[in-house]
Amino acid sequence: MSIGKTIPGVLGFLLGLHCAVVHAQTTELRFVTWRSEAPQVWNQGIADFERQNPGVKVVSEIGPQSSTQLHDLLAQKLKNRDTRLDVFVMDVIWPAEFASAGWALPLDRYFTAAERQQFLKAPIQANQYRGEIFGVPLFIDAGMLYYRKDLLEKHRLPPPRTWPDLVEAAKTVLAREQDPGLVGFSAQFKQYEGLVCNMMEYILGNGGALWDENRMTSALDRPAALAAMRFVRDRIIGEIAHRGVLAYEEPESLALFTEGRAIFHRNWPYAWTVANDRERSKIAGKIGMAPLPGFSPGRGVATLGGWQLGISRFSTQPDLAWRFAAFMSGKEMQKRVALAAGRAPTRIALYDDPQIKKKVPQLTSFLPTFKQAVPRPTTPVYVPLSNIMQRYFSSVLALPDTDIDARAAWAARDMNRVLDLLRDRQTP
Amino acid sequence: MKSSQRLALLFLLPSFLFIALFSLFPIIESLRLSFYRMILTLPWLGQKIVGWENYSDLLTDPVALASTRTTLIFIGVTIPLELFFGLGMALVLNEAFRGRGLLRAVVLIPWAIPTVVASQMWRFIFNDRYGLVNFVLFGADTSRYLAPLADPHLALAAIIIAEIWKTTPFAALIILAGLQSIPDDLYEAASVDGATPWQKFRHVTLPLLKPALLLALLFRTIDSLRVFDLVYVMTQGGPADATNVLQFYGYKKTFGEGMIGYGSAIAVTVFFMSLLLALAYLRAFKASRVQGQAP
Repeated sequence: MSIGKTIPGVLGFLLGLHCAVVHAQTTELRFVTWRSEAPQVWNQGIADFERQNPGVKVVSEIGPQSSTQLHDLLAQKLKNRDTRLDVFVMDVIWPAEFASAGWALPLDRYFTAAERQQFLKAPIQANQYRGEIFGVPLFIDAGMLYYRKDLLEKHRLPPPRTWPDLVEAAKTVLAREQDPGLVGFSAQFKQYEGLVCNMMEYILGNGGALWDENRMTSALDRPAALAAMRFVRDRIIGEIAHRGVLAYEEPESLALFTEGRAIFHRNWPYAWTVANDRERSKIAGKIGMAPLPGFSPGRGVATLGGWQLGISRFSTQPDLAWRFAAFMSGKEMQKRVALAAGRAPTRIALYDDPQIKKKVPQLTSFLPTFKQAVPRPTTPVYVPLSNIMQRYFSSVLALPDTDIDARAAWAARDMNRVLDLLRDRQTP
Repeated sequence: MKSSQRLALLFLLPSFLFIALFSLFPIIESLRLSFYRMILTLPWLGQKIVGWENYSDLLTDPVALASTRTTLIFIGVTIPLELFFGLGMALVLNEAFRGRGLLRAVVLIPWAIPTVVASQMWRFIFNDRYGLVNFVLFGADTSRYLAPLADPHLALAAIIIAEIWKTTPFAALIILAGLQSIPDDLYEAASVDGATPWQKFRHVTLPLLKPALLLALLFRTIDSLRVFDLVYVMTQGGPADATNVLQFYGYKKTFGEGMIGYGSAIAVTVFFMSLLLALAYLRAFKASRVQGQAP
């Protein structure tokens, strides 16, 4: 508690002092963000905004890359009602929580219904909570399957359409290649938010759910979810994926793929651009991209991800903050980020843009997949639920002798306790 | 007499105010909050006094209990090893040899590096594809490379190794100070009596070093009870909660989940654990001082 309060306070004080001395004349807009995959484009955008708004200086604070760690940083600032925070990036799972806690400003008076029509539906829904909207979508993510086209063609294998097919295909290639440095599959299985995204794809792909949103009870202990867990533990981890994936987030798992050391890879759409960049990847031009497999053909599920811009309720300049958020999520910026980093836009019109069609065709051809991506359930208690799920998933995958049924029952009981907190809410 | 007392109080006042503001106030505030149910993300639940509920929940929370066990294992392994290596280092640094001043400075480097930086470094060292540990063990045979941070047993060991590397110099420093306070004539007297080096160490050095060892033990135990940064950077508590130490669990509850009451209860528990340990050590410390003065 003491550190949480004093250190940011002292730092903020020093920073404020420094800024007060240096830029006495300018208005500062404070923006908490991650490091963009296309920093030049991102910084150019900020510079353009500053040029269009003379006297405004955007002060970016680069937070951690990990969603979980960035969440905690923002939560700490917002909990302390820090007025030196105007605009921030928001993961798709945060709007409900930030809205419920009274941290994010409702944007309805700025973000009109007509304007919202310009966006894909799923990310708009993810930004709504109890009839108000709290964020403007920057880009959309959906889990995708990447594969080594050259290796599959060499061994005359089609891209797999089910998870069991993927396991078989990986085993066939591994057996024929006899390359000790090659693994079958890389994805994100570390105990963090990405683990929920990955496991949800197996569980929902098998007809299960994380929790039942009508009855507000956990669904992890039901047969469909249990079978999916068994499949990942017994057929993927330690079989076609080495156990190192249990410590992998996106960058590590993608690095394995771009080094040419993984046959299949699960990641967000930006991975296509990285893996096809000759400077960063040994397998440029040798890869394919497909919707994620299911447990029967065509029944695959992709987790909806993506980032939004939110405005702090404690900002002293919400109008300016909105101008900035609108600019950064505008057509021009989304297009530039899509072209440079391969991030899928949230504005529908951009999918018909000739330049985007030509330079990042993978985005336009997978628009149906993005549209079908399934969001994680919206709730203000998402973080505690996610922590319980992460603990459960990681325990089952990392400890192969665990009793899945017992662990699932335990996780379900913990989740139900958290979900019960929502029951007695009276509608205002 | 009276005016000098008043002057002394006046001099003490600034540091008292400083401690009150930055230590006393947060401790009391945490203590107060630990008796409330307060969930930041559910403001409509309000701030309700729940008495000892957070603490009774803590006692029946299997994650908290597992987390306590992990913390105790961490302390139980790191402290003896740190004191052992620290004693060895201090004995070497206490000898007169060329370059001793330089070595004394060099040895302190791990302790001087910010923990976050050191943790990043150890994360790279334990990496499953290009980590130094794998290279030393298996060379170019990448198919045998281990993934220590992905294995529930090895991950805790990795964090323990990083902690020992980082804080042994601190223990060595305190023990070295203790060594230097032992008068040379005791060793001379022992030599006259025909004591072997081992007998000198066993019967002169060790008994007189007891206060310094206890002091190192006190500082290190309290410090490692609060271990956080290593876990935050290296594993985020995983895999399978294997490195979910108490302070990290409390942090996740407070700052991640917004469970202010429950998180405060964890913080207060850790505080009282270290307070009790400190009091126990201080008693032992005093006893050893009295003993040391008796002859």
